[in-house]
Order: sequence, then structure tokens, then C-alpha cells
Amino acid sequence: MAQPGSKILLVDDEPSITDNLSAFLERAGYTVVCASDGRQALRQIDAVHPDLVVLDVLMPEMDGRAVLRSLRSQGSHLPVILLTQVGEAGERAMALEEGADDYLNKPFDPRELLARVRAVLRRAQGSPVSLSSAWKITSAPLVLDRRARRATLSGRVLTLTPKALSLLEYLMTHPDELITRERLLDAVWGWDYPAGTRAVDTRIAELRRALGDEAEEPQFIETVTGEGYRFRAPVEGEQ
Amino acid sequence: MRLRAALAGLPALIGLAGWLLLPRILRPIPILSIKIDFGMLSLVSGLLLSAALLAAAAARRRSGLDIARERNLQADSRRRFLRRLDHELKNPLTGIRAALANLEGAGTAGAAPAVLRDIQHQVERLTRLTAGLRKLADLEVIPLEYGEVDLGALLQETVDAVRAHPSGSGRDLRLVVPSVPWPLPRIVGDRDLLSLAFFNLVENALKFTSQEDTVEVRAMEQARHVQVEIADTGPGIPAEDLPRVFEELYRGSNARGSEGSGLGLALVRRVVERHEGEVTVRSRRDGPRGTVFVVTLPVSIRIPQQPRTRQS
Repeated sequence: MAQPGSKILLVDDEPSITDNLSAFLERAGYTVVCASDGRQALRQIDAVHPDLVVLDVLMPEMDGRAVLRSLRSQGSHLPVILLTQVGEAGERAMALEEGADDYLNKPFDPRELLARVRAVLRRAQGSPVSLSSAWKITSAPLVLDRRARRATLSGRVLTLTPKALSLLEYLMTHPDELITRERLLDAVWGWDYPAGTRAVDTRIAELRRALGDEAEEPQFIETVTGEGYRFRAPVEGEQ
Repeated sequence: MRLRAALAGLPALIGLAGWLLLPRILRPIPILSIKIDFGMLSLVSGLLLSAALLAAAAARRRSGLDIARERNLQADSRRRFLRRLDHELKNPLTGIRAALANLEGAGTAGAAPAVLRDIQHQVERLTRLTAGLRKLADLEVIPLEYGEVDLGALLQETVDAVRAHPSGSGRDLRLVVPSVPWPLPRIVGDRDLLSLAFFNLVENALKFTSQEDTVEVRAMEQARHVQVEIADTGPGIPAEDLPRVFEELYRGSNARGSEGSGLGLALVRRVVERHEGEVTVRSRRDGPRGTVFVVTLPVSIRIPQQPRTRQS
């Protein structure tokens, strides 16, 4: 993967964050350009053509969400990782809906950001169309309609709890990627607590029951022993 | 207030005047064929009206006082919370500043790794604190994901999780869940949140007791409720701390310096309240000493317009 050398635009209005994160990402082999508000970010995107944007949500001038909307409405599939603000329960779900490729809750571990950057760049190189902005995701015979918040298996609507559906959405928009339980907790629950990894297992079991998936020979969701889960079936997005 | 009371007395005065001044005669009312003393009528109705007005004024005054008292209590608890938050933030920040000053002085000498570890440690503390604050704030607004919850299985899972945790290794931790003649009824609730609440309670019990102490988790059915007790043989909680242990960031006199966000029990209370349940605590410092937290949850609750889903 031709990742090192990839250009990252880092957008945050807090200099102590951009200064330290850019140094951190540069040490990992990336070229980093910074912007401190939304308008500047859009100008930089036109000027330097980054491979990926790390975008803070709460910023003066134009917030990260508006930047993302503007990009997607122009038909750009430029990969975006949103840095969401804490305390907004609906924000995480919205981040995926609005077409972010991934998101991290502040305060995050910079190493987790690096892992997200790698995964998103790898996915972007693999598929021409970004799954994150697709409204319908298919892994035959499983279809996830993100606008209607509904999943069907061979045309039959699956009865799933809202959390199980969000979990399926996260897995399907990050196919063939090993996702740790901790990451799933942070991304889907937005909470991290010691007994929480079991909550993930419970929901995965619920999903598997609904999908008729066997843990030993899974068609869709694979357990990576001691590490987490991976959506292994091929996935296609429809714009 | 005084003016209002005087006004309330006015109908009584007018009534009295009527009774004194109206000619003391009984006038027949043609249709009803009864006779009415108009003087007495004016007095009685005046007195009744005044009494009603006075009662209303008193009730208004009382509820006004209640609201004022409630406001004072809220302002008090807000002040206490801010004071505690200030304290919770100051300690790690002081630690970080000290470490940074140390790092500057040490240059690239061998002290750096230890100093960086200290900073890391304090940062983790602050991260835990903000995560806890966010959970508390979230809990005020997030819709619960209701489903049928098998509390017995949930408690078993929680106890297993605590045992696997560093704080639980090698500890005498017991679980008693009835299975005869019938198992615990399933309750309606948010499985993940309930699991968080019980995890906090069990972890809390282990944290404030020593290696030799026993922690027992026991569940029982009580009419239309399920009661879960988390009991320990620890040193007990001082009586003056007991009413406060569920407050945000409250640290009892025996809890100083211990790790943790100081928000665990506040979270427990909030989760239980959102399930229309109750959590209480009793504790003894001598004799057979120890502490028992009691969570009482209704078997079924009114679900505010959400689809009910089944969870295992």
C-alpha cells in the first residue's frame, strides 16, 4: 500500500492539537498540511489536493459538518475522518450518515487516529466509490438501507434493535477491516466501560441470529479471536 | 402578601356589615316558599368566601416557599458540584505542571520516561473524568433501548467481567440468583445501561474493601419488583457520608486519593431512576460491619413510545 507519502489535511482551530498531531503523523510517514477553520480547509483542499482530511466538527467560521456537506454535495469522495465533539449522542450516527468515512470522539488516543487514517486510506485505494456516502449498501443477499434505517435479508426485513442496526452499519461501511471491541464501543455506543466489550458481543450475537450467521463458519461477521470482529463478505455501495 | 391577606378578609367584613345593617327580618322567597334571613346570609357567605381566599393565599405562599427552598437546594448542590469539579481538575493539572517543569529542568536526562509516565497517568485520570461527565449528561437525554432483560444472566455476566478485571482477581466474590421454584422474572429495561450500573456497584464494593473481605451479589423477587443487593464485609461508610454517596464527584472521607472518576454511584442512581427504580444504601461500622447497596427495579415499566424489542 502506497500509504506513506500520502497527504493529509488536518483541520482544527486548536493550535496545540494541530501542532502535535501533525508532528505525530509526519513521523508516521505522512505529509501534513494544516488549516484552522472550515473556509481555510476548503481552500486548502482545492490548492493542495490532499488524500485524506481529518476534520474537527466545532470550529469558527464554517464548522466541520458544513465542510463535509459542501464536499459531498460537489460529488467529492475525498476521504474524511471527523473529530466529533463529546456529549452529543446523535452526532456519531449523523457523522456516518453525512458521509464521513470514519469518526473519533475527542479526547482520542493519537495512535487510534493513526489506525483510522491507515484503514481509511487503504479502503479508499481499494474502491473507487466511497461506501460512506452510499445510502444503500449491499452484501448479497443482505441489503442495508441507511436512509430508511432498515436491513433486509433476501428481501425479508430483519427485526433489529437500533443499536444492532448501527453496529451492522459500522461493520458494513468498514468491510474487511479488523475492528476491535473497544473501537466498536467508541464508534457505536460512544461510551467506553469495562464491561462494555460484552455488550458488543451480545449485539454481535443478536446480529448473527438475525442474519442466520454461524460464529464458526460465518458468511458475514467473522470473530478475530482475542481482537475483535471483521465484516468479511464483499460489500457494494449504491449512491 | 399582607395586602392579599387583608383583601381576603374583605368579603367577611362586608358580610358582617350586611348582617348588622340589613333589617333583621325574614323575607319569604316566593318560589321556594322558604324564608331567608338576608343579613345572616351575607355574613355566612362573606365568611366562607374570606376563608376560601385565605386558604388559597396560604397555599400559594407555601408552594412559593417550596419552590424557593427547592431552588436553594439546587443552587447548593450546583455549588458543591462545581467546587468538587474544580478540585478534581486541579489535582491532575498540578501533577502535569509539576511533571512538565521537571521535564524542562531535566533536559534529555534519564528522568524523562518516569515523568512522561506521570503525565500519561494524570491525562488518563482527566480522560476518565470527562468520559464520566459525558455519560451523566447523556443519561439525561438519550432514549433508553428497552428490551426484556434476564437479570440473572446479566448479573452472571457482570460478575464474570469484574472477575476478569484486575480489581477482581483473587477476590471472594459471590453471586446468588434464585432458580427454584421459579427463576427471576425478566424485567423491561436497557440491558447495556443496567450492566453498567451493576458493574459500577460491584467494582465499587471491591474497591472499598480489602483482599480478605467478601462481596456478595444477590437477587430476589419482591412482589412486582426485582431487588438486587450488592453486599460487602468492608469497613462500612461513615454515617455522615451516607446521604451523599450518590452525589456527583462526592468522595467519602475513606475514599480520598482512590482512583476512579467519583461519578460511578451518581451514574448508578441515574440509570436506576430512568428505569423507575430506586437505589439505597445501608452500612454499619461496627458489630458485623459492612455495606449493602440495594437496587429495586420494577418488573415492567411504562415505555415512552418506543418499540419494544427482545434482547437475550
